[in-house]
Amino acid sequence: MAGRRDRVRILLRIAFRNLLASKVRTGILGAIVLVGSLIVVVGSSVLDSIDRGMRTSIQGSLAGQLQVYDARSEGALELYGGLRGQSLLEPIEDFAKVKAVLSKVPNVKQVVPMGIDQAMVATGNTFDVALARLRSDARRLEAGEGGPELRRDYAAHVAHLRRMVGLLREEIAQARSIVDLSGRDAADRRREWEALERADTAEFWDAFDRDRYASLEFLENRVAPLAMDNAFTFLRYVGTDVDAYFRAFPLAEVVEGERIPPGQRGILIGKQFAEEWLKLKNARRLDQIKDARDRRGKRIAKDEELQRWVRENRSGIREILLKLDPVKAEEVARELRPALGAAEGEPLEAVLGRLFATTDENFDQHHDLFYRVVAPRLRLYQIDVGDTITVKAPSKSGYFSAINVKVYGFLQFKGIEKSGISGMWSVMDMLSFRDLYGYLTREKAEEVKRLKATMGARELERDAAEEALFGAGNALVGESKAGRIDERALVGPERPGAPAADLAARVYTQDEIDGGVALNAALILEDPGKLRATARDVRAAIEREKLGLKVVDWQEAAGLVGQFVTLLRVVLFTAVLIFFAIALVIINNAMVMATLQRVKEIGTMRALGTQRRFVVAMLLVEIAAVGILFGLAGAVLGAGVVGLIRAAGGIPAATNFLYFVFSGPALFPRLGAMPVGVSLAIVLLVAILSALYPAMIAMRVTPVEAMSSED
Amino acid sequence: MPIVSLENVSKDYMLGKTVVPALRDVTLAVDRGEFLSIAGPSGSGKTTLLNLIGCVDTPTAGRVVVGGEDTSKLGERALTELRLRTLGFIFQSFNLVSVLSVFQNVEFPLLLQGGLSKKERAARVLGLLEAVGISDYARHRPNELSGGQRQRVAIARALVTRPAIVLADEPTANLDSATGENIIDLMKEMNRKDGTTFIFSTHDPKVMAHASAIVRIADGRLAAREAVDAAAAAGRR
Repeated sequence: MAGRRDRVRILLRIAFRNLLASKVRTGILGAIVLVGSLIVVVGSSVLDSIDRGMRTSIQGSLAGQLQVYDARSEGALELYGGLRGQSLLEPIEDFAKVKAVLSKVPNVKQVVPMGIDQAMVATGNTFDVALARLRSDARRLEAGEGGPELRRDYAAHVAHLRRMVGLLREEIAQARSIVDLSGRDAADRRREWEALERADTAEFWDAFDRDRYASLEFLENRVAPLAMDNAFTFLRYVGTDVDAYFRAFPLAEVVEGERIPPGQRGILIGKQFAEEWLKLKNARRLDQIKDARDRRGKRIAKDEELQRWVRENRSGIREILLKLDPVKAEEVARELRPALGAAEGEPLEAVLGRLFATTDENFDQHHDLFYRVVAPRLRLYQIDVGDTITVKAPSKSGYFSAINVKVYGFLQFKGIEKSGISGMWSVMDMLSFRDLYGYLTREKAEEVKRLKATMGARELERDAAEEALFGAGNALVGESKAGRIDERALVGPERPGAPAADLAARVYTQDEIDGGVALNAALILEDPGKLRATARDVRAAIEREKLGLKVVDWQEAAGLVGQFVTLLRVVLFTAVLIFFAIALVIINNAMVMATLQRVKEIGTMRALGTQRRFVVAMLLVEIAAVGILFGLAGAVLGAGVVGLIRAAGGIPAATNFLYFVFSGPALFPRLGAMPVGVSLAIVLLVAILSALYPAMIAMRVTPVEAMSSED
Repeated sequence: MPIVSLENVSKDYMLGKTVVPALRDVTLAVDRGEFLSIAGPSGSGKTTLLNLIGCVDTPTAGRVVVGGEDTSKLGERALTELRLRTLGFIFQSFNLVSVLSVFQNVEFPLLLQGGLSKKERAARVLGLLEAVGISDYARHRPNELSGGQRQRVAIARALVTRPAIVLADEPTANLDSATGENIIDLMKEMNRKDGTTFIFSTHDPKVMAHASAIVRIADGRLAAREAVDAAAAAGRR
């Protein structure tokens, strides 16, 4: 076989020397191939990393690997909300049964019940907070407690309220001067103003201690409503079996406070949500400026958005003044003055003005001052760990349900703390969810109907209700005596109606948590790699047990968010396709030219006894060599680029969405064997494809060409 | 038995839709060791005739037998193999492979054939380069050589496989007359030394004079074979 080896050697030699002989052509083709393979390597490395990031984020925080939901649902399950807002899911009536069946499917490790919805949370206003504080002081005093500490606090809180009333009066006085008071509401407005004026008099405050409760009531009912502070906010939550949730989603962690005790009711507020919606606006803006400066390299001097935040911070000082009682206000002013170079005795408002007039030079110092001096004396979040909040939502049955739940802590997800998607939801216990969701199972609905029948209640038309109830004599009064409404029997023992304290302390069994309604359920798999096979098994089990559920994988369940990677892939794929289509044409053209230039040489070789396949092989080797050499070079360069990106700290997640996508503050693209292999394969395929036509031309060259005498 | 024989060979070319006869009913036998010149004006069919003998082309009618093989019965591969084993080619414009050195150009057919060790190949190539007088240029590329030198390389390449027949199509047409005669002399020397059959086409009477026999061709028809002296006389006339 020495002959064959010799032939291969001469073939390679000719091919390589031809490449070297036309350096420009080889260079251009090489550059195209190199850029192509570079794009593929870097692009797919980044994409694969994004895919991994999304997978981690989505699977590790909410979706699990598979999701099931009722097949009768009008819309598809969209865990993160789709374009139309909430997805319309029919409830899974008996989660316990679903859990029992699906837990037995091989490779299914866990079945976690879920109910995702939005609710309203009353956040109260500063007035309410200050009043609540004072009321608790007053209660302790009335109860006979004493002590200098309590007395000092009480005095400070009274002074605080008095200050707030003063500030409120100033504000409303300004409003009065520009508002026409002759309108329909004039009488109301005047009454409100009178109340406010009264509350701002020395007599009112002098008399405050004489009847603390009456005075507080006056402030609560007549004055507090005039402060038009934020009243409620929207909360996105996942009702779930909290213990199972934390077992299933390792990324979830409680950052402040503690987990909801096993089996108890409670809520964990999303940390990111708290930061964005519940935090004191000035503090939030300081955080944002810091983040922009530190992570995105922005500068206040150069960035309009940062300048706006600084401006807003200066005008937001009033909110802080309202939150500080005189004692604390004085402490803050005393500590801040020397640090900010303010004169002794400069009022707090002016001192805070200095604090928030941040520039690039003093920002870090002021940020630190705020968190060291001001923040500890403020209520930084409207809802804080330990609070009991009232959550309201329209229930499935149409009425508005409300529950009180204790906030046990703030929830965040490791690696994706700042994500605008995952940090935004809160986790609530399953029973509270069911109360809010207010779904009556078929049996319950029947029961209600029976009860109504026994009580003689009638369905009333809204418009005719008054007439029906009160118009025709005292029928209602008479009927209502016919039966006592046993509310507990109607709504079940755990329904609101039982004292909130009892509910909060109650520990529910696993059966109680599982036995009831859920909207969807996450399946956690032992081996996520066997997702498809397990999905098949789960479908079979559902079919067998007639559960009437639909099974979707995490990506589909994530809705639009899940499509993001697919979208990116399509974009990259299209770009690569276009690039290589163009490359194909260029390479093909160049090779055709090269072949035509060499017709005589090829003819000569054929005349000398070279077989056709030798000629074709020569051409293919030539182009394949370009493909492999420059493809490899491109891949190596791509690897270098990926390495550089990693060395430079990854691709920073500039937005909160990217935080989620990257599953962290930066994307560290990882060079897989796959992208390199794929890029080489693509490059080679394109090279060979583009050499096919030239090879055909070369094959058709006859030895006769060698004979033609023109040179 | 002649080394090449053509029996009633015709060759037509298609030029658009008209048939152009290039050879008409040609019969020719060439014996081993001949140094035969095919003479005729351009367009007379010389090249076609050489192509048929060189197994580069196949006849429209008639039989071409080269080295005992009927070429019309052979496929493309077998024809290529026949060219490699039995024939050597010398071209009017030398046709060396530009990216290979002189040595590699000459070695090329041996590599295609296979069978010889590296040493044997080198010995044979260098021997031939010596014989054609350009052993000093073995490492040069063709474009570094003069026309005459290139044609010497081509002769060495044609002879390196020790073919039975060497075909040369106007081997001197691109050379000045002195160099041309040198080349013909060289070919003739090789012919004498090894007994290789040479068939070459030319329209140059001075070149023809060196042949041992001349076949004249005009309008695709072959005239009778002429004796050398007569041909020489005709050439000198």
